[in-house]
Amino acid sequence: MNSLALLIALPLITAFLLPVIDRVSTFAARWIGPMVLVVTGTLGVMLWQQLGDNTVVVEFGGFRPPLGIVLYADQLAVMFAVAATVGTLLLWPDSGEDRLRRSILALLLAAAGSGLALSGDLFNIYVFYELTAVVSYGLIASGGTAQAHAATLRYLVISAFGAALALAGIALVYQATGTLNLAQLAQLAPHRLDNLQGLAAFVLLLVGFGVKAELFPVNTWVPEVYASTSGRIAALLAGVVSKLALVVILRLLILIFHQPEALQIMLVLGILGVISGELAAWRARDLNRLLAYSSIGQLGIMFIAFAVPGTAGLYAGLAVALHHLVVKPALFLLAERWGGALDRLTGMAATSPLGAALFVLLSLSLIGVPPLPGFWAKLLVLINLFEQDNPLYLAGAAAIVAGAALEVNYLFRVAAALYQRQDRDEPRLAPHHLGDLGVATLLGTALLAGTFAITSLGNRLEQIAGQAADSDRYIQTVNPEPAP
Amino acid sequence: MDTGLILYAGAFGLILIGIGGIVLSHHLVRIIFGIALLEAGTNLLLLLATWRDGASAPIIVDGRVPALMADPVPQALVLTAIVIGVGVLAVSLGLALRVQQAWGTLDIREVRRLLERAIDDEAGVTPASSLDAPAVSGPLPGGQEERA
Repeated sequence: MNSLALLIALPLITAFLLPVIDRVSTFAARWIGPMVLVVTGTLGVMLWQQLGDNTVVVEFGGFRPPLGIVLYADQLAVMFAVAATVGTLLLWPDSGEDRLRRSILALLLAAAGSGLALSGDLFNIYVFYELTAVVSYGLIASGGTAQAHAATLRYLVISAFGAALALAGIALVYQATGTLNLAQLAQLAPHRLDNLQGLAAFVLLLVGFGVKAELFPVNTWVPEVYASTSGRIAALLAGVVSKLALVVILRLLILIFHQPEALQIMLVLGILGVISGELAAWRARDLNRLLAYSSIGQLGIMFIAFAVPGTAGLYAGLAVALHHLVVKPALFLLAERWGGALDRLTGMAATSPLGAALFVLLSLSLIGVPPLPGFWAKLLVLINLFEQDNPLYLAGAAAIVAGAALEVNYLFRVAAALYQRQDRDEPRLAPHHLGDLGVATLLGTALLAGTFAITSLGNRLEQIAGQAADSDRYIQTVNPEPAP
Repeated sequence: MDTGLILYAGAFGLILIGIGGIVLSHHLVRIIFGIALLEAGTNLLLLLATWRDGASAPIIVDGRVPALMADPVPQALVLTAIVIGVGVLAVSLGLALRVQQAWGTLDIREVRRLLERAIDDEAGVTPASSLDAPAVSGPLPGGQEERA
């Protein structure tokens, strides 16, 4: 199981060696990045199989926690580490002349993403989070236009602000407990962080990590960035990076912060996210920003779901997260060529039947039309919300339903435009890149396959959620030396 | 006066000045400096988390153990945070320079307006607010060219 560290180390080393390799052979430099990700992706899947129902801890240098730094692997962590690796591989952003730099950044993103999912130490999470942030600045700015630079700068200001808040939250946690190891924090939290200081620390960490997870007040960067960058990079940020930030918040919530107020704050921010995101998407007049706002709404649903205490909320939220992880990147890949004003899309089904069919399939699942997976995910969330005997949770359910109604409206508007007959002889939009369409088709096929295997997928996910929600198991696996 | 209190006041003061700078000022360089101050404040807060007056470095010299040792962990963390902060500062100043070269402004409101317009132009949609585009569709006094 020590090879778990390779998921982080291998892409990291390759990223720094890539400029040297490029000096020797441009061809090798072009292909070695994806190859490394194929290797680490396969390795991750193998480890996931091997792991089974166990949970494993990797101690670096043989030092026991809390002195040593650990990686913690349960099914949730390995699943998202694999998602980060495979996601980066599928959305490999090499186009244009800046291929080398983008390859380096993509490899760093895969490494930092796996690190975020696997890390069992609060400060390591912060470092990997900052690495992810800096890499995404580079990826967004790699467009090279003034527009891309300005969008990156505005994103950077919010992101650096969030990171500083998260660091202040870490300082508060350390001040109260004197440790950064998540397992030891889980041991100490009920005595030392079940107070106002703990709540303040949670809010700081939530807002800090929430920047990447498109949490309500700190998501103003989302439409600007997704509209100013290429479809693949938008897909990476909306699909993969946002979910990794979400997993981090989830871990902190399960292990450290048990106050009901913490859940309620998240619930309210989630509701505001759903409402503002869906309304803005409804008003949007170009596909890129429509998808960006809809992504804010979907992340809001996840926050609402995770605000339900216990395994049930975790299960429902993970279902929405995984569904979004598959659907939104595919939609952004389609938007690479269709990103402009919505009326430009009129009649595109005639020239690109596969793209239009995919768009309709993905939209239906995003809205939640049975029997597609999106329906089951939303249904789970709603059932859990109705089971809570609290008006705030009912408000969450109402927001999700209203959001779905808006989704129907704006996504069907696009779908209707695609299938409208066009008589005028206007210049058509360029056809999709074969690679973009191929990956989108792959993701669409995965969605369809998920529809047929929904029961077994659901059982598996429930088991993963049950394992992740078990904080005693986390403590026993890591087994830190007792606090002084 | 208590040294610890002064240090805590300094940390929170820096954080507040930093947040104020980010939220209130419109000049990009000032905003970036606000981020730097905010980071300095959080770093100080992190150091203060286990700070004790008169503690010495946790090094055992000639078998003598110091009576009061400082916790080395926050110091290592702050070192990392400073390095990250400097890197981000450099990247942000570089980006601000590029934006200034391209659009000739460092006012965040102006940058935001130009960015919105660039996105709108690229997408081929008319600006959203009625300030930029009057609701009437007919010819206006002054004509299209003058407004553009």
